[in-house]
Amino acid sequence: MGLTLNHFLVLGALLFCIGLYGALAKRNAIAVLMGIEIMLNAVNITMVGFSFFNQVRPYSTFLTGQIFAIFIITVAAAEAAVALAMIIAIYRRRSTVDVGEIDMMKW
Amino acid sequence: MDLATLIFWIIAFVLVGSALLGVIQRNIVHSALALILFFAMASGIYLLLNAEFIAIVQILIYAGAVAVLILFALMLTRTSNIQVNSNPNGKLRWLALPICALVAAGIIFATSISPLVTTATSNLVPYGGKGVCAIPPNNVIYIGELLYSPTCYSYVLPFEIASVVLLVAIMGAIVIGRED
Amino acid sequence: MALYEYSWLILLAPLFAFAVIVFGTRFWDLLSRPRVAAATTHAEVHAVAEHGAGGETHAEHESDVELIETTGPHGEKIILENDEDPKVPQLTPGARWSGYLGVIIIALACLYSWLILLASAGALPGVPPLPPGGINLSAISYTWLQQSTASYVIDFRLNNLAIAMMVVVTTISLLVQFYSQGYMENSAGYARFFAYLSLFAFSMLMIVFAANFLVIFIGWELVGLSSYLLIGFWINKKAKPAEDRLSPASASIEAFIANRVGDVGFLIGIMILFVNTGTFNFADLAGPASNPFSVAHNFANNQALLTIAMILVFCGAIGKSAQIPLQVWLPPAMEGPTPVSALIHAATMVAAGVYMVAVTFPLFATAGPAAFGVVAWIGGITALFAATIGLVQRDFKRVLAFSTISQLGYMFVGLGVAGPLYGPGPGMFHLFTHAFFKALLFLGAGSVLYALHHAMHREVQDMRLMGGLAKYMPITAITWLIATLSISGFPFFAGFYSKDTIISLAFNQGDYALWAITLLTAGFTAFYMLRAYILAFGGKGGGFGGLWGGTYRGTGEPHESPITITLPLILLAIASIVAGYWTGFFSYIQPGAPNLDIPMILNDAVATPVGALSVILALAGFVWAYILYTRFELASIDAFVQSHAVLRALHRIVLNKFYVDEFYDLLIRYVVLGISHIEQAFDTYVVDGLVNGTARLVVTLGRDLRYIETGRVQTYMVGIFGGIVVLIIFVFVLVNFVK
Repeated sequence: MGLTLNHFLVLGALLFCIGLYGALAKRNAIAVLMGIEIMLNAVNITMVGFSFFNQVRPYSTFLTGQIFAIFIITVAAAEAAVALAMIIAIYRRRSTVDVGEIDMMKW
Repeated sequence: MDLATLIFWIIAFVLVGSALLGVIQRNIVHSALALILFFAMASGIYLLLNAEFIAIVQILIYAGAVAVLILFALMLTRTSNIQVNSNPNGKLRWLALPICALVAAGIIFATSISPLVTTATSNLVPYGGKGVCAIPPNNVIYIGELLYSPTCYSYVLPFEIASVVLLVAIMGAIVIGRED
Repeated sequence: MALYEYSWLILLAPLFAFAVIVFGTRFWDLLSRPRVAAATTHAEVHAVAEHGAGGETHAEHESDVELIETTGPHGEKIILENDEDPKVPQLTPGARWSGYLGVIIIALACLYSWLILLASAGALPGVPPLPPGGINLSAISYTWLQQSTASYVIDFRLNNLAIAMMVVVTTISLLVQFYSQGYMENSAGYARFFAYLSLFAFSMLMIVFAANFLVIFIGWELVGLSSYLLIGFWINKKAKPAEDRLSPASASIEAFIANRVGDVGFLIGIMILFVNTGTFNFADLAGPASNPFSVAHNFANNQALLTIAMILVFCGAIGKSAQIPLQVWLPPAMEGPTPVSALIHAATMVAAGVYMVAVTFPLFATAGPAAFGVVAWIGGITALFAATIGLVQRDFKRVLAFSTISQLGYMFVGLGVAGPLYGPGPGMFHLFTHAFFKALLFLGAGSVLYALHHAMHREVQDMRLMGGLAKYMPITAITWLIATLSISGFPFFAGFYSKDTIISLAFNQGDYALWAITLLTAGFTAFYMLRAYILAFGGKGGGFGGLWGGTYRGTGEPHESPITITLPLILLAIASIVAGYWTGFFSYIQPGAPNLDIPMILNDAVATPVGALSVILALAGFVWAYILYTRFELASIDAFVQSHAVLRALHRIVLNKFYVDEFYDLLIRYVVLGISHIEQAFDTYVVDGLVNGTARLVVTLGRDLRYIETGRVQTYMVGIFGGIVVLIIFVFVLVNFVK
């Protein structure tokens, strides 16, 4: 069978949900961040897939999916940097990176 | 099954497997390494989709910079017992499992009922804009033209804004991460 | 015709008097009370208190009542017996003018009403009688509320029935107000008393002039209010449980509440009538079937509902006129001053119920025989019931109270058995004559009590402490005897004609049971009235075979009351004889009714066995009372009764008024208050529970929902994606299962 758009969309969905599980169920803050990176990559795969299979005219001509993926990578990198800086700052203060312990905004 | 499909399936399995390893491992450094493998395989997917530029950028940025950054952060926030409990599971695990499964099922269901045209072609036609521009010969030039071109259709404005975002991120990271 | 057109002045004059007294002369009185120096010795105190009592001299006495000195509302010294009305030694001009104003205005109203009576009976040359339906007093009519479906107007009218009642009300009011000038002479509340009397006159006249149920109900309630104010006039007086007497405050509340219980039925009856006919107006309701508002038109195929409505309307009369089962308020109402008892609870207010039934007589006639049957039978049973209780009472005013209840029963029997030919004539005729002799009986009792109060220096109402008063108070005794003969139905006096008409009507209509009841009641009435007379004025060893004078069982020396008290007695005594001779009364009230045929009545009384029976029974009652109380000592009669078990038991039951008061007490305490406790529980647990529960729910929700905000981002993300999952499921279900 040839490759169809569905393959890539299903792949993207699966990866997104694996990343979601990692973001929801892990206690280490960096593990949560890794889950988020997985989610972003899944979205990238989906975007580029749409761009390749010419599904959305005229944006396929403009390679909108790929450009979108570039910008997602850009922003993800920036966000990872800032997030890790925050985690390090919290670690310095509290000596923990357990997200379950960071609940000062609670009731 | 042709070559592209075979390669797709192999890469897909490794991709899903490495993602799973990345979220299941108890040792967080192993988890980070699985993530690097994940990034590499994602780059392979992009190559399959004729997006060479994105593939290279993926390796450079994700596997090269972000993964290293994560490893640095792991080093700086070391817990006492890396082997055993550096990546424990939270209490919400049991709630998260069905939620994730159902979200996946939902997305797959949505894609299955959408009327998608399943043609694997990439015949591009010349695109308009301020002038009639020809299709560039390869993907890198194409993306370059799309990002920078003053005459044809381009994403110059988002590009500039992205650079501002990066600037702000740099400054933010420095300020937040300072010692005092 | 202008004579009739301006008759609304009679209605508004007492209201004017009330306003002027309350805001004018009473105010003057309160401002001008003298501040006297405190009396120091007991003798001085007593002399000051007795100063204004008509100037009688007193022998030395032993007073066993406590006199206390207090200060009045303006700092003046007041001396009073420790259970009575505050006294002043001298009335201020403000108070005196209150009295004069009240009397003058009611005298003018009385004069005008007599003129109208004479004119409408055709006795005044040049003034035509009223048109048959009466006239509408549109000068003081007022539209209260005008809706598309109904209109509510304050409307007054004048017809012959109203004129007859108006004459009674104004005359008795005049005599009572004149009498009060003497009776209440030392009272500190003198001005207030006259204000209340004027208010009462206004309220009663409002009932008399009313043209629709709305106005009569307003007047009804106002009369109840005036009665409450007047019974409770001596507000600080304490109860006397030894004599089985309530305090005036309790008695006034009991009167008001009993009236209100009757008013519930009254209102429901009015509402039923209004809902079905769309009007309150008496003339419209009583109209022929062609009138779309009449009961004949609207209840044509639902006579049972009309019967129920009229019985409910009669409930109001039961409450107001103290019939069974609401007769309980009238004996305690004797705690008010005696002029009040005379005016309200003998002649006028309790007659309002009778008047109302007379006004709505056509409605009762349309309603089927059950309505009149209820009226007549309740009247009859009440008459007999009250008469039996009156046989053994020892309190002077209480005998008269039960007598009133009994005679009111007679009036309702008269209304119930009259039939369409006589209309409300016989019942109203008995009301007319009864007003005079009952007022005379009460005012005479007041005269006796006044004299005994001055003789014994405390309030005495027990007949066992009286006796032989005729030789001290001849005028009072003679007038009381005339009233006794009248009420008992002795031939040639007024009461004979009115009672005999009712008794013979009961016989002629075939109501033999009612006839027997009325006969028996007549016998009892004669007995207890003569008993009361002999116990008070006569006794063993007096003149005229024990009727005039005898042994006086009290202390001190009573005197005849002053002219201001005895003049009304004389006038009423004349009326008690003469009032029966207005033969045209029946046709005056109801055109077409036969006139009172006095020769025929006298002939019947002598010749026919039926007619003679009533006279024989009355004479039998007289003779038995005469023998019993002039030949035997009171103590020996008492001993005889106590020594026989059956007699003793009967005596005790009847003396305690058949234990109705105790029964009502239990009923209210356990049934009424029990229901109210249930309702209170409902209010506390359900209503408050709902309100407080809502608040508690909100607080609980808030307190427990805040735990959702854990402060951890992962929790919030779970929330987001959980919501997305819910939407996914929703869309899935919609897409697949809903077409």
